[in-house]
Amino acid sequence: MTRDELKAYIESNFVGRMTLLESGKVEPMYEIKADDLIEVATKLRDDLELKFDFLCNMGGVDTRERLEVIYNIASTSKLHRLDFKVILGYDSPAVESICPVWPGANWYEREMYELYGIDILNHNDLRPLLLPEDWDQGHPMRKDWDAPDFVRMPEL
Amino acid sequence: MGKLRTEEFQVNMGPQHPSTHGVCRLLLTMDGEKVVDVVPHVGYLHRSIEKICENRTYAMCIPVLDRFEYVTAMSCNYVFALAAEKLAEMEVPERAEYLRVIMLELNRIASHLIFYGTTAMDVGALTPFLYGLRERELIVDLFEMTCGQRLTYNYIRVGGVSRDIPKEFVPKCREAVKIIGEKLSDYEGILNENPIWIARMKGIGLTDPQKAIAWGVSGPVLRAAGVKHDLRKDDPYSIYNKFDFDVAIRWNGDCYDRYLVRLDEIRQSLKIITQALDGLPEGDVRAKVKAKFKPPAGEVYVRIENSRGEMGVHLVSDGSTKPLRVKTRGGSFNQLQYLPEIVRGKGYLIADLVAIFATFDIILPEVDR
Repeated sequence: MTRDELKAYIESNFVGRMTLLESGKVEPMYEIKADDLIEVATKLRDDLELKFDFLCNMGGVDTRERLEVIYNIASTSKLHRLDFKVILGYDSPAVESICPVWPGANWYEREMYELYGIDILNHNDLRPLLLPEDWDQGHPMRKDWDAPDFVRMPEL
Repeated sequence: MGKLRTEEFQVNMGPQHPSTHGVCRLLLTMDGEKVVDVVPHVGYLHRSIEKICENRTYAMCIPVLDRFEYVTAMSCNYVFALAAEKLAEMEVPERAEYLRVIMLELNRIASHLIFYGTTAMDVGALTPFLYGLRERELIVDLFEMTCGQRLTYNYIRVGGVSRDIPKEFVPKCREAVKIIGEKLSDYEGILNENPIWIARMKGIGLTDPQKAIAWGVSGPVLRAAGVKHDLRKDDPYSIYNKFDFDVAIRWNGDCYDRYLVRLDEIRQSLKIITQALDGLPEGDVRAKVKAKFKPPAGEVYVRIENSRGEMGVHLVSDGSTKPLRVKTRGGSFNQLQYLPEIVRGKGYLIADLVAIFATFDIILPEVDR
């Protein structure tokens, strides 16, 4: 499907479940509600017209106002691509593990858990991935994270 | 005689094991000399590149990202530049696009030559390593001639490339293409029919195409399992749709096919470079970019076909001079987390594991970032 066909298809088949966001001006970016994530993701994967079988990338974003979890998915047979995100607050952020849909999400979720402090529900293994096992200095990718030797570059 | 009592035991392979191509610890559960399970422990090379990028201007991010996957640093430069250009909706001069394709393909060949050499070395043949690095030197010389660097290039910039190629570049490049094309038959001659090589490679480390896709495996590893998926064809970026080349593909999904796919890819890359050199237009090599480059607020994910599979960047801009988020994605990350799936319970030896790890062509800086 071309980008416009895909947009129209999503609009008619995912009414109220995927909302087009303003930030996706260049490429469409959708929002999915956290408690609807697994169902919609499964549908995106299993829909015969969409067949999103490949999770390219996922990760956390701290926008200074809220936390987000971005997902970039693609189809290896239909050759189209889609982005969506789940928006979370700073107050005990948590998102359902997407591993049952795309097993490749496993390490991305572990990474997000340690770097952003976003709790992953129903994940089988949340050992630290990139950080040392005895790391006790918080979640370094958060914008408010600080350390004695961490210097912020001034705005030019 | 009573039954011999056996028990499983654990062995650390790495972090300083030479065949782990970087610093990676594989925690092996062994039953005698058979591998029962493998758990990769990564993070030894974590330099928090993504955090550093959030604290730098767009131009300063590019040399930082050179270190993301330093065997193909051109791709790292390119994927970030592409994301920034897409956000800013910027046009790139045609000559710059041609130069980018030439550099990307040269870098792909250089990376596959490293693969060829190190894989052979890992399974015990030293000569191919010398062959591979000898021809890689021709390519590295071309890069040095162009941008002064041999490993971390900082050449592809937002809006184009940093400078034009010197006038000796085109004849030298044609010469290198010719030499590498000829030497490829030497490479195949020394390994393809070699009984030891075949015994170590054929039927080892079988990947299942459907599972590999679900685990996010891409690039030559996926193509060796019979999935014709190459982003240069399937989701064309830059000017790849102008060139005539084939997607290298094999069907068995074992170590041997992964090796063959990469050699075929070198051939296709040489074809692309020749066409790009023939069609190289005159003109500017860089679009006008303001000193304070500020793409409008928004976000975009771009992906390219790197020598280790899909390389991508999810770039989020808040309209300031610094990116809000740079999420990088490298092929090795997914390949390494898929590794236990194909090793678990298959009864491979450690030597087989070395061959699998080598033909997955995992490089650790890309995993750890």
